[in-house]
Amino acid sequence: MDADPAQFGNIDVNESDIHTIVLSYLAHNCFKDTLESFVSCTGMKQPVDHLQDMEKRKRIYHFALDGNASKAIEMTEEFAPGLLEENKDLHFDLLSLHFVELVSSHKTQEALLFAQCQLTDFGKEQKYVKKLEDFMALLAYDEPEKSPMFHLVSSEHRQNVAESLNRAILAHSKLPSYSAMERLIQQTTVVRQCLSQELGKDGHKPFSLKDFLRS
Amino acid sequence: MRGVEDDPLPKRMKVSSGKIGGLSDGISVGEQGSCSLSGSMASGDDKVVGSNGLISKVEFVRIITEALYSLGYSKIGKHLEEESGIPLHSNLVATFIQQILDGQWDESVTTLHQIDLIDESIIKTASFMILERKFFELLYGEKEVDALNTLRTQIMPRNVNLDRAKELSYLMVCQPHISLDNSHSQESGLSSRKKFLGELQKLLPPTVVIPEYRLVRLVEQALDFQRDGCRLHNSVGEMSLLVDHQCGLDQIPCQTVQILEEHSAEVLFLKFSHNGRYLASSSRDSHVIIWVVNADGHVIMRHRLTGHGQPVSYVSWSPEDDQILTCGEDKTVRRWDIDSGECLCVYGKQNLSLLSCEWAADGKHIFTGVTDKSICTWDLEGKEVGSWQGKTTYRMENLGITTDGKELIIHCKDDGVVLFGWETYSQRSIEENQKITSFALSEDGKLLLLNLCNGDLHLYNIDGCLHCIGEYKGNKRSHLVVRSCLGGLKQAFVASGSENSQVHIWHRHSVELICSLSGHTGAVNCVSWNPANHHMLASASDDRTIRIWGFKQVNS
Repeated sequence: MDADPAQFGNIDVNESDIHTIVLSYLAHNCFKDTLESFVSCTGMKQPVDHLQDMEKRKRIYHFALDGNASKAIEMTEEFAPGLLEENKDLHFDLLSLHFVELVSSHKTQEALLFAQCQLTDFGKEQKYVKKLEDFMALLAYDEPEKSPMFHLVSSEHRQNVAESLNRAILAHSKLPSYSAMERLIQQTTVVRQCLSQELGKDGHKPFSLKDFLRS
Repeated sequence: MRGVEDDPLPKRMKVSSGKIGGLSDGISVGEQGSCSLSGSMASGDDKVVGSNGLISKVEFVRIITEALYSLGYSKIGKHLEEESGIPLHSNLVATFIQQILDGQWDESVTTLHQIDLIDESIIKTASFMILERKFFELLYGEKEVDALNTLRTQIMPRNVNLDRAKELSYLMVCQPHISLDNSHSQESGLSSRKKFLGELQKLLPPTVVIPEYRLVRLVEQALDFQRDGCRLHNSVGEMSLLVDHQCGLDQIPCQTVQILEEHSAEVLFLKFSHNGRYLASSSRDSHVIIWVVNADGHVIMRHRLTGHGQPVSYVSWSPEDDQILTCGEDKTVRRWDIDSGECLCVYGKQNLSLLSCEWAADGKHIFTGVTDKSICTWDLEGKEVGSWQGKTTYRMENLGITTDGKELIIHCKDDGVVLFGWETYSQRSIEENQKITSFALSEDGKLLLLNLCNGDLHLYNIDGCLHCIGEYKGNKRSHLVVRSCLGGLKQAFVASGSENSQVHIWHRHSVELICSLSGHTGAVNCVSWNPANHHMLASASDDRTIRIWGFKQVNS
């Protein structure tokens, strides 16, 4: 049984809370222009110096998303020095992104040399060896996107890495790494799950955002 | 399996088959009919060698040629090939071999495909091995780019499995000298390529490439056959190729080499230590003597252990040969140190006699048989730590223990013994149809020898399924308890004392009585074969002496 929508009316939701939620979403995803106009429309107070950082963060995110990992790394080092040393997993993911770029553009010799210089150090730690093997195997195939490791060459992978990078930069700058909007949706889903587990099949269905938006 | 080769041998063609013959290389059942047999070694156009018509001349010459090359006589090898007109390998195979040794991998794969005698799967496996070898050599030669190309264009298209692809790719990045397959060593030197060639040759059928050392293997088979047929075989070492192997009695210890006279009454029991360096003997004179066996085989007295006031009938060596247990008619069991000759402990039970004793396998406990039909366990300090009693215990004068220490061997009745698992309480029994007077175990613990009332000996396998594997006749017995043993190379012989003062030796497998040794002037009560020296046998007799038997005459 779902909660009765009629009960929703009893809860008062503060306007400015909603503005905060929207703002956090826009800031997280670097929608700078939208954010500026939203701020001016709603009359909210926002510290301006965040905007410059946001611009940089946006560019870093897009470099990573496009697969231009070397630029992304360069800017990250400039903007948030020490971040990559602290996040070795992320560093590895970015370097391997570059490697994948080289392989995809059929620069196999360059890819080999790059791997020998930059990636072998990671091979000393056991947890990276498996990942390294998977990436290296891409070299063996003429058409990496058709190999068993095709997921490493895909855009979903790039997106995941770009988002991890974004979160790491936010955390480094002492900002929340998840937007409030995302958090709210996650919260609802988890709560629903707990309820349905406790009450068994008589309980609530798992939370579906799609269904909710349609209702 | 005849194929098209590029230079058939003119004289050796089998015209009858209608095909262009290659090297006549199969088993020549068909050839038997078409050759002219003329007794022994044939010459000229004959196709077989030897009077049985079993050996193809071409094969025979080829394996001799291979043997010459393996021994390093390549000039003679070549000469033989020329003079006999029988090449060791066809031209294609010879080219292939040379290409492998020169590291011309791609060419060797091509040649491989041309050798028509081989079936598809072998060609695939061999080609793959060669390409992997090429990959590794390029990698060590620091030609990573070429290695990568080989991987992409030559290896991957052969449907290599994913894990192997990952391993190979990974190697390009991590330095090659980290963990590598043994068969690919680091130098691409000639010896390493030769090893690789050896591996490849194992894949190819023997008709294409003669297996290395084939002639040596055949000779070894013949020697194995001769050795297995030799009844009196009792020593290891080189066997002559010049005459068929047949040991004579000269390998059996049947000459008296030494007479030990230190006991003053009948010698009842003796046993060599497990390592063969000591001998312990016990006598009606109530003494136990520890003897040392010198490196030259001479036996000298070391200690005389007094303490039992009565005749001593049994001695047991500890697993490490550093101590012994002795027991006899004085109702106690004593433990002695071999080095010092001191008595370390006396075991006894009030109002009861300890009749027999054995060491536990851990060397820290001992078992004793008691007159009340129980078996007691003791620790080294003399404290009793356990005992059993039951329907299975009967006469306690004989006690045995298996080498793994898990089963005790006891009489459960006059004509039966039981193997009693003292930890698991399991029981396995052997029944005879006459009284069993004594028993003995082989040094490896797999065999149990029983002495029976009428003098016969029966041998049982106790490793796994209990069954009788031999009956040894020829010994007559009327009233004495006589002991026997197993010994010699691979426990191939059974020896026993007897009432008629002789030592009898049988061949274990053929149950044949090989010889009876005379010399003692009284009943021989016990024999022991040195476990470390197959040419030394000791016997204990009522004539108060111990005789050491061997086959060298030594002034005693």
